[in-house]
Amino acid sequence: MNNEILYLSLVPAIAGILIFILGRKSRALSETLALLGTVITFLIAVKIFGQTAVQGGVLTFWNEELRMDALSGLIAGLVALLGLIASVYSVPYMRREVKVGAVPAERMGVYYGWFMIFLSTMLCATTINNIILLWVIIEGTTLASIILVGFYWNRDAIEAAYKYAILLTVGITFALFGCVLLYSGASQQIAGGIDPLKLTEIAKVAGKIPKSIVLLSVVMLLVGFGTKAGMVPFHTWLPDAHAEAPTPISAMLSGVMIKVGVYALIRTVLIFYPFYSIVSTLVLVFGMITMVVGVIMMMMQEDLKRFLAFCSVTSMGYILMGLGLANYLGIYGAIFHLLNHSLMKALAFLSVGAVIYSTHHRRVPELGGLGKYMPFTAVSFYAATLALGGIPFFNGFISEFTLFIAGVKAGFPWATVIAVAVAILNVAIFFHLTYQVFMGEAPENLKAAGIKEVPVMMWGGMLILAFLCLLIGVYPQIVSPILNEATKAVFATIAMP
Amino acid sequence: MQEFAKIISTISLSMIITSYLIIELRNLRYSAYMYMIQAVLMCTLFAIFAIENHGLYYWAMTAFVTKVVIIPWLLLRYIKKTTDREFQPLIGYLGSIFLISAVVVILYRVTHSYIGFVAPSQFATAEPFRTNLAVSLSIFFMGLYCILVRRDAIKTVHGLLILENGVHLSLVTLAPALRETALIGIVTDVVIAVWILLYVIYGIYQKFGSTDTLQLRGLRW
Repeated sequence: MNNEILYLSLVPAIAGILIFILGRKSRALSETLALLGTVITFLIAVKIFGQTAVQGGVLTFWNEELRMDALSGLIAGLVALLGLIASVYSVPYMRREVKVGAVPAERMGVYYGWFMIFLSTMLCATTINNIILLWVIIEGTTLASIILVGFYWNRDAIEAAYKYAILLTVGITFALFGCVLLYSGASQQIAGGIDPLKLTEIAKVAGKIPKSIVLLSVVMLLVGFGTKAGMVPFHTWLPDAHAEAPTPISAMLSGVMIKVGVYALIRTVLIFYPFYSIVSTLVLVFGMITMVVGVIMMMMQEDLKRFLAFCSVTSMGYILMGLGLANYLGIYGAIFHLLNHSLMKALAFLSVGAVIYSTHHRRVPELGGLGKYMPFTAVSFYAATLALGGIPFFNGFISEFTLFIAGVKAGFPWATVIAVAVAILNVAIFFHLTYQVFMGEAPENLKAAGIKEVPVMMWGGMLILAFLCLLIGVYPQIVSPILNEATKAVFATIAMP
Repeated sequence: MQEFAKIISTISLSMIITSYLIIELRNLRYSAYMYMIQAVLMCTLFAIFAIENHGLYYWAMTAFVTKVVIIPWLLLRYIKKTTDREFQPLIGYLGSIFLISAVVVILYRVTHSYIGFVAPSQFATAEPFRTNLAVSLSIFFMGLYCILVRRDAIKTVHGLLILENGVHLSLVTLAPALRETALIGIVTDVVIAVWILLYVIYGIYQKFGSTDTLQLRGLRW
C-alpha cells in the first residue's frame, strides 16, 4: 500500500473543493489555496517520481486498482511541475484579466477551483489500473476543463468550449465501446478470481483475445483516445480550445492534457503490438498524417496561440510515429518527445501569454520588435523556438533525432524522410515567426503604449522551463535513465508471444 | 431467458423506434420525453436480464435514477431556458428517415449475421444476447447520425445520449459482471457531461440568440 498515490490526486481535488466553497468571495484566498495545493501536489509527485521513474519501482494501492510505474511517474511529475508553474503564472495573468474587465473578479474562485480539479483528474489518470475507470477519468479531464476553455464567456470562447465538449465527449464514447470490448474479450481468457478490469491483467492475455474483437476495439480506442491526443482527423477541437482558453490553461492543455490521451493509448493499444502488426502500422500511419497536416496548418496561422496549437498537432504526430515504429528506440523516442514537448510547448504558450499580457495583441502582423522591451520573454520564446524547431543543443533536437534513427532502424525509412521534411519546415516557420514578433522595429502603437516586461511570477517559471529545455539538449544523459525506465515499464506490460 | 425472448425482442425494437422519434421529433421537449421512455425501456430490459444475473438489478436502478430522472430533468430545464423548437435540420424528414432506416437495417443485419465478430463468447452469440448486441450497435450509430446531421445544439446532446445508450445497452452482453464502481463512474460522467454541455449551450443561446451550431463559425482554420 503506497498511500502517496492516493494523496497525489486527492490533494488538488480537496484544494479545488475548498476553493469552490471558500474562495468565491475572496480572490486572494483562491490564489493562496491554489498555490498551496499545487506546491504540496508537486512535492508528492517528486517523491513518486523518484520512487518510480528514477528507481524503477512500482507503487500500488487498493489491491492494485491504483498502480504507478516509471511511465506513470514521469507523466505525473510533468503534470505536477507544469501545474505548479501555471498556477504561479496565473496569479498576475488573471489579475490583469480582471483589471482590464475581461473577466469579473468574483469568477476567480471558479477559475482556480476548476484548475485544481483539472489537475487532480490528470494526475488520477496516471494512477488508474482499471480499464473502465481509466475511461471515466480521461473523460473527467475533459469535463473539468470545459469551463476553463470557455472561461472568458465571449462568443469565441463559448464556441471553442462547445466544440471542445461535444467532440471530446463523442470521441471518448467510442473509447468506452473500445474499453468494454477489450474487457469483455479479456474476461473470457482470465482465470476466475483475477480481476479482468485491471489493465495489467488484460495485457497478460492480449494475445488470446479474438482478432476481430482486438481490431474493433483498437479502432474504437484510437478514435476515442486519439481525439483526446489531438490525432488528425479528430483534432479539430484542439486549435480552438488552445487558442481561446486563458493562456495558463492553454499551457496545461497542450503541455500535459493531450499527453494523457497518449498515455491511455499506450496502456490500451500497445499491448497488442507483439500479436498484430496491423495495430502498430495504424498508429504509425495516423502519426505521419497528423504530423503533415499539423505543419501545413501551422503555415496558415496569423494568431500566435492557434499557431502553437497546430504545432502541438505536429508534435503529437512525432509521438505517434515513435509509438507506431514499435521498436525499443521508437517508444523511447516517443516518450522522450512527450517529455520534451511538455516542457517546450508549455514554455512557448507561457511566452506568448506574456506577449498578450504586455501588448494586448496576439496576431502576428500586429506585433514586432518586442525583444528590446521584453528581454526575459524574448529569451524564453527563443529557447522555445530553438527547442520546438529541433535545433542542436536544445531538447527537441535530441528526441526528434532519436525518432529519425528509430524510423530507419525499424525499417520505415519513408517515415524518417517525411519526419525530417516536416522538421525542416517547422524550423523555417518558427524562425520566421520569431523574427516577426521579437526582432525588427516595434509598431508605433505598441511603442506608444509603453510595453514592458511581465512580472517575475510570470517570467520566473518561463526561465525554469527554458533552462530545462537547454539542459536536456546539452546533457541528455540526465534524463536517459528515466526514459529507459519508462520505456522498460511500457515493455514490461506487453506480453510476448 | 428463452421464455422472455419475445418481450426482450419487443423492447429492443421499441428502443430503436424511440431512437427514431428522439431524432425526428422537432419539438425538443417531446424528444426529451421520448428519451425518458427509452430509458424506462432500457431499465426494464436490465430488470429482465437481472432475473438470471441478479447484479443487473443494480444497473436498472442506477439507469433509472440517472436516465429517467436526472438527465430528462436537466434537458427539460435547459429547453425551458432556451427554446423547444429544433433548429431546421440539414436533412428533411423523408431523407432523414430513409437514411436512418438504411443505417439501422444494414447494421442490424450485419451485426446479427456476423455476431461472432464482436461477441466475446459462445454465450453472447445465442439469443437474446445476439439481438441485444445488434440493437446496441444500431442505436449507437443512430446517435452518431444525429450528432453529425443535426444543427441544433440541444438535439446534438440528444444524439450523444442515444450514442451512450447504445454502449450502455451493450454492457448486458459484453460486460454482465461489470462492478458497480465502474458503472457508477460511467453514468456519473454522462450526467456531468450533459449538465456542462447544456450550460455551454445556454451560453450559446445567450450570445448568439439561437442554438444553431452552423452559426458557430467564428473560429476557422
